[in-house]
Amino acid sequence: MFQVKIYLASIQPLETRQSTLNERGLIMSKTLKSNKFVTVALIISIVLAGMSFGNLPSPTTSTSIQTVNGVTFNFADYRSLTLEELAIFNFLTNLFDQPYGSWDGWYLEPEFYGLFHYVLAFMSYSLAMYYETTPGYRTSYYEEISDNLVRKFNTSYDDWDNQSIEYFEWIYASITQNWTGYYYPDTFTPDADDLYTGGFRGPANIMWTGHYMLMELLHERNFNTGEFDDEITFYMEDWNNSLTTDGFGNPQEGGIWKCGLIPCEPYEVWVQCNSIPIYATELYDGIYGTAYMGNDTVEGIWDYGLEFSNTMMQDPNSLYIDGYYVQEPFGFQQPEEGVQQEFPGNRLSPFRTDGSLRSRGYGVAWSLEFLDFLQPEVTDEEYSIFLREYGKEISGDQMYFVDSFYNTGYFGTYEFLACLFTLALAKQEGDFNTVQRIQNFLYGLYNKVWSADGREMHWDTSSLEPFLQTSIAYGWIWGCNPVTLNDLVEPRPAGFWDYPFISQADDEYIWVYQAEWDPVKEGFILNINVDQPATLTFSNFDSLPTAYAGGVPLRTLELTSGGDYTLTLQSGSYNLVIM
Amino acid sequence: MSEESLTESETKKSLRERLYMQDGRNFGMTLVYAIIGAGLFMLVSTIPMPFIMYGLFKFGLLPALAIIGTVAAFRGPLAGFLTGYLGVVLYDLVIRGTIVSMTLPALGYGFLGLVTGAATYDLTSGRSLIKLSVLSAIGFVFTVLIAVAVGLTVESLATMVVLGFLMLPLITMGLPSVILLTPVFARIWHAILSKTYPSDQ
Repeated sequence: MFQVKIYLASIQPLETRQSTLNERGLIMSKTLKSNKFVTVALIISIVLAGMSFGNLPSPTTSTSIQTVNGVTFNFADYRSLTLEELAIFNFLTNLFDQPYGSWDGWYLEPEFYGLFHYVLAFMSYSLAMYYETTPGYRTSYYEEISDNLVRKFNTSYDDWDNQSIEYFEWIYASITQNWTGYYYPDTFTPDADDLYTGGFRGPANIMWTGHYMLMELLHERNFNTGEFDDEITFYMEDWNNSLTTDGFGNPQEGGIWKCGLIPCEPYEVWVQCNSIPIYATELYDGIYGTAYMGNDTVEGIWDYGLEFSNTMMQDPNSLYIDGYYVQEPFGFQQPEEGVQQEFPGNRLSPFRTDGSLRSRGYGVAWSLEFLDFLQPEVTDEEYSIFLREYGKEISGDQMYFVDSFYNTGYFGTYEFLACLFTLALAKQEGDFNTVQRIQNFLYGLYNKVWSADGREMHWDTSSLEPFLQTSIAYGWIWGCNPVTLNDLVEPRPAGFWDYPFISQADDEYIWVYQAEWDPVKEGFILNINVDQPATLTFSNFDSLPTAYAGGVPLRTLELTSGGDYTLTLQSGSYNLVIM
Repeated sequence: MSEESLTESETKKSLRERLYMQDGRNFGMTLVYAIIGAGLFMLVSTIPMPFIMYGLFKFGLLPALAIIGTVAAFRGPLAGFLTGYLGVVLYDLVIRGTIVSMTLPALGYGFLGLVTGAATYDLTSGRSLIKLSVLSAIGFVFTVLIAVAVGLTVESLATMVVLGFLMLPLITMGLPSVILLTPVFARIWHAILSKTYPSDQ
């Protein structure tokens, strides 16, 4: 019918067609005249939409199903990175293209010195999730950043003066709080019976040693270089000494501080800070075959501290409180009215005088997340309580988390931190609605900035706080990536280091969304986008492999003199099975 | 169709007529409009909309908001109120799995429809469409005020959050949306209905 109409129209006489066009023009003109306001509104809407077009989500990673030699590979069954995650990583690499003690692009101001080492530590954990998503892509591009991050975290005052992490984290605070002057138990008149606890590298700085060892350990887990083995073991033994002896080698229940936990600031312990070495100890046992976490015959070094955390360091909602004083700090001022602080004792809330304990949203979320592998039932139970007590709903689309439910009228750095930590906790709990709502809150007020070549992306936080830029960038990986901390606490599976993997590549020309060896189907999954012709080198293949696309052979890889195999790809997108 | 395309000359109406619930059939149709409007609101709300930041000001358009005023213009204040209220509640519940502050903020979106639907419109007249724009904007001011009041009192949100993350974006994105898109949507819908049901005109 439609075809007939077109045919009829085409054989209309010229005058008739002209007349029809004139009529339509008149109608249109009349319509526009009688709808001037709507026309203007429509034009303004289009202009406004055009001017404000941006910040849309990137397309999802495309996957396919292929059958090769009778074996079916569904790419959707394997973890994948997104375009945004890859572009964020490329952005972050710029921050490492400078000496270890240089911080250009990090927007570091003195007010953030005390927080800065956490930025590095949690970036490391986010990137560990990122690396784990494509475990078969392990070129120097990823390994060097991982290594560099550890070395930046370990910058000492001797080498880098007031641009070192030792200065930012320990010495700067010590200028006013005398952290370097602490002894335990008597810090005011110490003698030979008192243990020095004012050192940056321990024993009472778990907020640095815990993160440092875990960063090293994750580097070893992900890249198996062996370069940090000795330091990792040094800290493991140091913690063992702190938790099972009095610090001088004599066995003592509850360790040096008699609570089974290790302080950050030398006079105080936190559950969240100790959750890091607890997590690291589990991974250490898995990699090095030890039993520090305990087994049927041996008690775990953290058992006492965990029990202490789960019984003593609790608020009325059974959530972890923020801090337990193991001794009185220098210059402590008791509150002018109300309940007085006890030493040792749980830290009191600065917002109440009735003896309520100090609570912090970021600390609870952090603790629940890192201890989930060990006590999932506790996390499951307390997660809903946490959402209720600390969550604030702005709308159906947005929510945020307060730092203290005794001080809900305030919003600042720690509320941002509470949101960032809850992001990963919610992801780990499978609560993707909450993940989405926090993301809408955290990322809804910044423009995405893409580099001219389209390979880098970050959010411009300069209108609110430039220092947030780095955290907001890796926070996206922290909250979106399919890998959780529970995945990373497991060592690599047996035989992993013999699996085929990409050992070299023209990294700057490619986007690797999926890359992993399937040990059951014995095929290598590669989901890749190639900007310019690029060559990839594969190691560990036993025999000459062939790359399949759409289930049919694309090309056979080429053998190199070193026994590896190379694959050269032209520009384009590929879902490849290599076997 | 004759019921939908009201003219401004139809000024003497009872309250029940203004609410389109003068009889069972009309009331039923009003509910149908509201349910369709709420469903549309929910669906359109799920589409990620572009935006751009200039400093702390967020600009962009939220087409879902214009659906509320459009339904109100066609079917009166009750349909408009229910479209806004149920639309937000449905979106929160179905898409986000939550109910925010006992649905109180959703009332604000209901008010947008209620205020917009309080007048009658001739959707072929530019003057009437300007009136639709103005009333949508006034209705939306209620939306913002209610959202802010609920945020500060019921949810005890931090003042900075209410101002920076709730009120400002609502104003800079919501107001242009209701002012510009509501008359456009209403005019287009009217044109489609006129084509579809010419005998009703």
